[in-house]
Amino acid sequence: MTKTLIEKIWDAHTVIDEGNGRSLLYVDRHMIHEVTSPQAFDGLRANKRKVRRTDLTFATMDHNVPTNNRSLPIVDQTSAMQVKALERNCKEFGIELFDINSPNQGIVHVIGPELGITLPGSTIVCGDSHTSTHGAFGALAFGIGTSDVEHVLATQCIWMEKPKTFEIRVEGKRRNSHAITAKDIILSIIKQIGTAGGTGTAFEYRGEAISELSMEQRMTICNMSIEGGARAGLIAPDEKTFDYLRGRRYIPENYDNLVGDWKENLKTDGNARFDKSFTLHVDDIAPQVSWGTNPAMTIDVTGRVPFPDEYAKGNVEEEKAAAKALQYMDLKPGTLVTEIELNRVFIGSCTNSRLEDLAEAAKIVKGKTVSSKIRAMVVPGSQHVKKQAEEIGLDRIFKDAGFEWRESGCSMCLGMNPDILSAGERCASTSNRNFEGRQGSGGRTHLVSPVMAAAAAIAGHFVDVRDLDLN
Amino acid sequence: MKGSAIKYERDNIDTDVILPGPYLKIHDYDELAKHAMEGIDKDFHKKVKPGDFIVAGRNFGCGSSREHAPIALSYSGIKAVVAISFARIFYRNAVDGAFLLPIEVEEDAYKDISEGDQLEIETSKNEIRNLTKNKTYKMKPFPELIGKIISAGGLFNYKP
Repeated sequence: MTKTLIEKIWDAHTVIDEGNGRSLLYVDRHMIHEVTSPQAFDGLRANKRKVRRTDLTFATMDHNVPTNNRSLPIVDQTSAMQVKALERNCKEFGIELFDINSPNQGIVHVIGPELGITLPGSTIVCGDSHTSTHGAFGALAFGIGTSDVEHVLATQCIWMEKPKTFEIRVEGKRRNSHAITAKDIILSIIKQIGTAGGTGTAFEYRGEAISELSMEQRMTICNMSIEGGARAGLIAPDEKTFDYLRGRRYIPENYDNLVGDWKENLKTDGNARFDKSFTLHVDDIAPQVSWGTNPAMTIDVTGRVPFPDEYAKGNVEEEKAAAKALQYMDLKPGTLVTEIELNRVFIGSCTNSRLEDLAEAAKIVKGKTVSSKIRAMVVPGSQHVKKQAEEIGLDRIFKDAGFEWRESGCSMCLGMNPDILSAGERCASTSNRNFEGRQGSGGRTHLVSPVMAAAAAIAGHFVDVRDLDLN
Repeated sequence: MKGSAIKYERDNIDTDVILPGPYLKIHDYDELAKHAMEGIDKDFHKKVKPGDFIVAGRNFGCGSSREHAPIALSYSGIKAVVAISFARIFYRNAVDGAFLLPIEVEEDAYKDISEGDQLEIETSKNEIRNLTKNKTYKMKPFPELIGKIISAGGLFNYKP
């Protein structure tokens, strides 16, 4: 029988098949962090349970940690308590923790691949919806809630309903690969399929425009699968995948043998059928900017803020949603995107905080100055990213231009630490969600790529990065 | 199950508005409840009564995997969310801890229910009765796994 890659990984991890797609799945890697794990550990303690596979469980602190001076104690007492609780829980249950002072600390979805914890063909879960990021390596990776975190800690297994398979074909060739980024590809996909387009499915991204992407770019694509409604999104591994992971700290000793197996097995069979399919052609896509309060409310940088009826195309509910979004965002329909003035710029998050993201943004920033109206910050995804960036002088480029250069963490993506927008502030952000209040109560978020964010920081408003010399 | 409807006429009610990020540091569930729906309805905590239902449009609970979202609603007194569709992580989280029932209905039912309508939900018959309007709507049956977790009273009581 022919199978898709999703089905192959599913079947290889099925411990019990209850029929009707209901399966107990084995979990190869479990990543945990300070925000969605405390109640899970309380549950284990209350029931006198242990962590079944401490060797497959990895912890870090990323969501609420401050990104300024790490030598000082955490000022926010509730954050400090959560961080301490994770330290205590990891010690008590014997879990390896990359704490706030560890050279391996960082956003959980940045450090997984970076340390070689993420492997092709594996199942990966974490109490965070952006776990789909790890799918870039051909893993079936999805976010779970705290009850399931507790279940996985105790059993190393999870009850799941088999997702439908959704092929996302990305074809063609980008005209300017510096200006049109992976972020623009994934935003273009979500814009078309909608935020619930992938509900109940797992995506497999394929096609020439996916093969051509670097591993870091592939992570940006898979990261935002959840914004299209899919809990998981993956890409079949290839030489780039194997090369990226080779030599990393946690890869198995028999790595090269595994690569042989992976090459043979980790692909969708030629005539396998997907439940759904969608194709994006990238030849003519433009840099994307979100204008509304969900990631599907996105337009080309050359466009204008839409009128609600124009956006809704006859759908009454969508029209109301667009009107509400415009009100929240304080935008007038018909305004050119390039005329939207900004106050803040955030380059970071599990979507766009890896070395390549920072290097591409730095090319735009080099020798320029951040607009006097703008407060801009760069928050590297991990301590390793930060160190590598500093080794090649990216920190100097950003700092000389007037950016703040921060310590690693989730930071202003979700407003849990002190890095937040004030009410009414407008931010060009490389993160993944433009929900109301996401970056701070009353804050307004425009999702963009790192190069678009960098260019906006210099200009004080959005600019079409295709007009800049990026080489 | 009987209660009155609190209606939000919108799709894509995300977990960041159901429970904004800054409150994810709170571990006391009753305290979490005070901030439920704060992102779009600052008065929710004052108006919600034990046994109430939320009625909303498509893709309810999209976004983050925070189980704090169904917990905050549950500890506010919400027994079920009636929506056209749910994002999948929220859907699962709602039943894992037996926090509330995620109930999917057709668009007609969603449109017909008004704020304050008295509803009676009978999951064994897959029915919702609108006692105020004297009408009956069909609810979509739960998928098998979700139905079994609900019947067991949560994930940790579920045995295959």
